[in-house]
Amino acid sequence: MKLDTTGLESFASFHGEMDDLHGEFWAPPSFDLPVCADFDGFQKNAIQMVKPAKGTTTLAFVFKEGIIVAAESRTSMGGYVASQNVKKIVEINPYMIATVAGGAADCIFWHRNLGMKCRLYELENKRRISVAGASKLLTNMLYSYRGMGLSIGTMVAGCDEMGPSLYYVDSEGGRLKGSRFSVGSGSPYAYAVLDNGYRYDMPTGEAAELARRAIYHATFRDGASGGVAVVYHVGPDGWKKISGDDVRELHDKYYPAVQVPPEQEMMQVPPV
Amino acid sequence: MSIFEYNGSALVAMVGKNCFAIASDRRLGVQLQTIATDFQRIFKIHDKLYIGLSGLATDVQTLYQRLAFRHKLYQLREERDMKPETFASLVSALLYEKRFGPYFCQPVIAGLGDDSVPFICTMDCLGAKELAKDFVVSGTASESLYGACESMYKPNMEPEELFETISQALLSSVDRDCLSGWGGHVFVVTPTQVQERTLKGRMD
Repeated sequence: MKLDTTGLESFASFHGEMDDLHGEFWAPPSFDLPVCADFDGFQKNAIQMVKPAKGTTTLAFVFKEGIIVAAESRTSMGGYVASQNVKKIVEINPYMIATVAGGAADCIFWHRNLGMKCRLYELENKRRISVAGASKLLTNMLYSYRGMGLSIGTMVAGCDEMGPSLYYVDSEGGRLKGSRFSVGSGSPYAYAVLDNGYRYDMPTGEAAELARRAIYHATFRDGASGGVAVVYHVGPDGWKKISGDDVRELHDKYYPAVQVPPEQEMMQVPPV
Repeated sequence: MSIFEYNGSALVAMVGKNCFAIASDRRLGVQLQTIATDFQRIFKIHDKLYIGLSGLATDVQTLYQRLAFRHKLYQLREERDMKPETFASLVSALLYEKRFGPYFCQPVIAGLGDDSVPFICTMDCLGAKELAKDFVVSGTASESLYGACESMYKPNMEPEELFETISQALLSSVDRDCLSGWGGHVFVVTPTQVQERTLKGRMD
């Protein structure tokens, strides 16, 4: 389909020869139009964008000495970095922590609500709630809001009478018990490093370094992850924050800049 | 996210005293995933004329190849280099030719004209020129770049100070953008020399 441009053709007749070299410059102006039904929306529909799912990276795994929970600290709104310093690991009570992924407001509100319910359970039953019980309370609450647009992808980690327990809970109502999870848009990159280096009987220091490295690699490859790599350890005596390292410093530590010797150096020629 | 944010980019050019600087980030991504950290966005047309292209990476490369072709043809015919203003008009015309199926690129052109007067301009993807006397920006980080440049820019800076200013403006702006960054590339051009430097920035 071509537009009618006869009104613009007045000068085309002056130039007789139309060899290859001149063709591009002297051809009468005409616009090529894309063949489609809706050409006003053509640019918008050029590529179908899939909405990125939960721009973040969090991970948690169970090992001999307890559970390591790690996350980065960036919030992004589309392409804009809203903050590089957000707390994505929230404390429910002194022996249970949870990660935040998805809607920040949703996660923080429902975790605080869960903390309240856990405390009420303790007062009514004179014993601490198990991690299985706490995650079940959260799941049941989220299931009743299913389909209303909550966006939560959280991991609840704690040590109770059954030993260390890790549950993945999401806003669709899913609840999975497991020993290794990573949630968020950076999770594929974190899984790659985590699965490669994981051993059940690692010492705590090595486990924390594995988690830190996995988060660092996720922040490198994923645009929606960055800021500070935070690592927590949950043991029988409760949780403890191990470290919070800026990923820029981790980059310099893992991949220090190597001075490349120049192939050729320009010599200063002394004036004659 | 729109087609302009598919690959992510950040470009800025600034005018100094008888010199100019043009800087870009180095990330190539596919939406949120980073593919490469050494993507070239600034290209030399001739010794005193550089063009930076932001937007869709495939159009960046294709448009540069077409412009290089046109400039070489011009050099053969006219036996001289194109003036920056002429080149800007050429780019504008080339972009408007594709009015109903455009190149998804926003160019930033920076050059040194006769008498070493620096020239910078930017245009949208359809070729609307915007000339400026101080700085021009383009890319996904453009809003942050506008803010940073507006506060850091001073007229008549010497090449060293211009390099510092443009580097700081670029690095602080891309830190607020998920889709650009992972280092920087700066060219500072004076009548006698061209300095090309790579910046180390945050890699997240």
